[in-house]
Amino acid sequence: MGSGADLRIRPHTLLFYASPSSWVGPKMRMSTFVLKRLSYTVFVLFGLSILIFIIARVLPGDPARLALGPRAPDWAVENLRQQLRLNEPLYVQYFYWVRDALSGSLGVSLVTRRDVMVDIQEFLPATVELIVLAALLDMALAIPIGMVAGRRANSWFDNVVRVLSYVGVAVPAFVVAIIFILVFGFMLNIAPSIGRISPNIVAPPTVTGLITIDSLISGNMVAFFDAVAHLILPALALSLGLIAQEARITRSSVVENLNKDYILSTVSHGVPERLLTLKYLLKPSLIPTVSVMGLDMASLIGNAFLVELIFNWPGVSRYGITAMLRKDLNAIVAVVMIAGIIFAIANIAVDLIVAYLDPRIRMIEKAA
Amino acid sequence: MKRSSQIAIAVVIIIVVVAGAAWYALTPPPGPPTTTTTEVPTTTTAPMAPSVLTISFANVPNTDPAVGSDEASSSGFVNLYDTLVFPTPSGDVVPSVATSWSVSSDGLTWTFKLRSDVKFHDGTPLTANDVVFSLNRMLTIGQGYSYLFTPYVDQVSAPNDQTVVIKLKTTFGPFLGSTVRIYILNSKLVTSHFKTPGPYGDNGDYGSDWLLTHDAGSGPYMIKEMKLEAYMLMERFTGYWGEVRKDAPDQVKFLGTTEPATIKTMLSNGQLDITDQWQPTENLEAMAKLNGVTRTDIPTAGEFYLMMNTKMAPTDDIYFRAAVTYAFDYDTVVKSIIPGATESAGPVPTALPGHDSNAPKYHRDLAKAMEFIKQSKYYGKLDQYPIVYHWIAEVPDEEKVALLFADNMKDIGVKVQVVKVPWLTVVDEMGKLQTAPNIVTIFVSASYAEAGSMLQQRYHSKSAGTWEQNEWLQNSTIDSMIDDAVATLDKNERFAKYIKVQEALVAMYPSIFTYDQVERRAYYAVYVDWYAAKGQWSPVLGYNFDCRNIGFDAAGKAALFGS
Repeated sequence: MGSGADLRIRPHTLLFYASPSSWVGPKMRMSTFVLKRLSYTVFVLFGLSILIFIIARVLPGDPARLALGPRAPDWAVENLRQQLRLNEPLYVQYFYWVRDALSGSLGVSLVTRRDVMVDIQEFLPATVELIVLAALLDMALAIPIGMVAGRRANSWFDNVVRVLSYVGVAVPAFVVAIIFILVFGFMLNIAPSIGRISPNIVAPPTVTGLITIDSLISGNMVAFFDAVAHLILPALALSLGLIAQEARITRSSVVENLNKDYILSTVSHGVPERLLTLKYLLKPSLIPTVSVMGLDMASLIGNAFLVELIFNWPGVSRYGITAMLRKDLNAIVAVVMIAGIIFAIANIAVDLIVAYLDPRIRMIEKAA
Repeated sequence: MKRSSQIAIAVVIIIVVVAGAAWYALTPPPGPPTTTTTEVPTTTTAPMAPSVLTISFANVPNTDPAVGSDEASSSGFVNLYDTLVFPTPSGDVVPSVATSWSVSSDGLTWTFKLRSDVKFHDGTPLTANDVVFSLNRMLTIGQGYSYLFTPYVDQVSAPNDQTVVIKLKTTFGPFLGSTVRIYILNSKLVTSHFKTPGPYGDNGDYGSDWLLTHDAGSGPYMIKEMKLEAYMLMERFTGYWGEVRKDAPDQVKFLGTTEPATIKTMLSNGQLDITDQWQPTENLEAMAKLNGVTRTDIPTAGEFYLMMNTKMAPTDDIYFRAAVTYAFDYDTVVKSIIPGATESAGPVPTALPGHDSNAPKYHRDLAKAMEFIKQSKYYGKLDQYPIVYHWIAEVPDEEKVALLFADNMKDIGVKVQVVKVPWLTVVDEMGKLQTAPNIVTIFVSASYAEAGSMLQQRYHSKSAGTWEQNEWLQNSTIDSMIDDAVATLDKNERFAKYIKVQEALVAMYPSIFTYDQVERRAYYAVYVDWYAAKGQWSPVLGYNFDCRNIGFDAAGKAALFGS
């Protein structure tokens, strides 16, 4: 091709890549892939439920006695043990748990004294809001920082990013959370450090449980910006370590791809740098990042435990840590299952995205 | 898409975000103390915002009086509910809903006459039937403070709307004082919220689910907002029958967090007025330096014990226990490890009515310790009998005490194995003699405001095998003495018997009486007039936060924070 080749991305080109049928040949192949993964996921979650069910029950401590306190009469403790079926064999207890779960009940929480499903419905939106913003910050910052650092390898920017990456990976999220509160909440006092919304702001009517979304739905922009302000510090604390790690991975991937023949060939054709970066370098460089990013995002719900505790964020992760400390059996199982489901969905999503990004996977599938 | 379009979109997004952030920055929530002016803001015609007293606790209260019994819940009950009598700082009681009471000569029948002007928060009049309902509900559910009544209460009835009769199974001297835990619920309201089916037969769930987020009380405050895992907000009940300070806060918020960084930040910018008692020493000292903040140490009816297993070698030997008692360095504990704590004197906390004021305060005396160790049957083979010492993993300060103890015992040739153990495991271990260690360190608080409570909980055979007793004392003489004291109706006589029990226990060296628990808090003394911080503290858990008697100077707070 000559140096004046027209390499602009045109709308119909985008549509081609967007169409599932173009990915793996016949449409059925993709749906088969998704169904297969979903069926594996069901088995994995089934196994997870058995594992956590057993672990929760073999940990030391009588949950009934712990729930009622040391001074409760023995008959009250025995009544509660019977309600929880703790005197039955483990497999019988599991059978009843599965039966109740399939009918929408996850049992009663020994801490809140109400159905765990009600607790999850109340606390999960707060965690979803937090981890979604953390994930968005992760994607919005990790990829561009990594790309720039890779394109400007060994420059001052790259060196700063490398150092900050090491620090970001080494420092746990809860330490970052404490530093944020002390710096931005205590010393500078420019950001709220507790709760989801300020006490003097009228909260929007609950639709989704996500205050940001509910504010937009009701048109309450005051509440929206206030909720975002409350979200920034905990979301940043949660995502900083991931941003550091993924920026580093992206940077390494970019540097590696820059030395590939096809890039050298593209450069020799006089392709502008911007086009080179966005069209020819970005997609292949993202493959390892996306794989790690997906798993990191799935683990956000686990990492959110301490961040929620420190920011007094009423989320399901904090609920889970309370459940574990107080051996709230039903709540422990429910929270772990939620984390498992999120992890499984994230895994499937990562596989799909990687398949989209890497044509070689599609070629292999097609050949198969 | 053309590059110019992309740039335009990016610019629009940036403008929206910056505009939003700028708007937020210009209209912040309750702000920081940017000035220290003492000027009082001029009044305006706009309605005053309600004054809100904010206090942090380890958890959000459980507002069901038949279920909750921790500090936060007990503090909530004091404000939401009324009781028959009300405790005084000295441990006595004064009339509350009950105007008078009498007891039969055999001590088994208590009769209370009630006021007729008490109304619940929904306007329903409080009658004797509500008291009957509340007590029966507590006894049926069997949680919370029911343990105070289950062994003693036989029957409760209401011969008329203003009379309650409680019949006991056996005489219980402290019974009148224990009635501060019968929080009176609106029976009609709770009954209308029974959920069936439930674990209590025809009573379904007994209203437990509804009471998680609502109150059914007649107290000076009522629940305005309840966010489980976050906070409880109460507001004044304008129809309250009793006296409330004119400057009592309009609203009270109980926060459920103790994270030091969060607490310090909230206190500094006025979002918190009184901290919880679980703050580390360093954080308390830093907070005490904030403008207007005072640190306060409030005695409690709790004590920290090194509980020595009297049935397991080598702590089964009284001379060994005596030696260990004299070898321990108590002064370092109260001066360095838990500054502000006071050294214990005997098995009953000093703040608890009925405490033996002549009980000894031990100090490290190596000579005496050696004297005792030489009389021990394990002397000469001490290396074969190390002390197994368990401390609770969730309380970091206990490690310091454990290491100090291990170091102290070297001086008398005693080896110590210090083991960090999670609370759940400790409770399990203490349940069986075979698994209970030589020493476990635990805080224990009295369940009612008399020495008898601590003696029953700590040294009666009934508590052996529970988390409250690692001593496994199981001494029939001590049991009889405790039972006899607790069954004595006359207070002076009862207290004299308590002293005899304490003397007998001290002679047995069953525990190391380390220090009396002190609540260490920071609060804004400049605008919060808190009686408990001024010497009027109560030995009854929760009664230090009777908010009708706490003064809150809203104008003073506004002046301090420049708003």
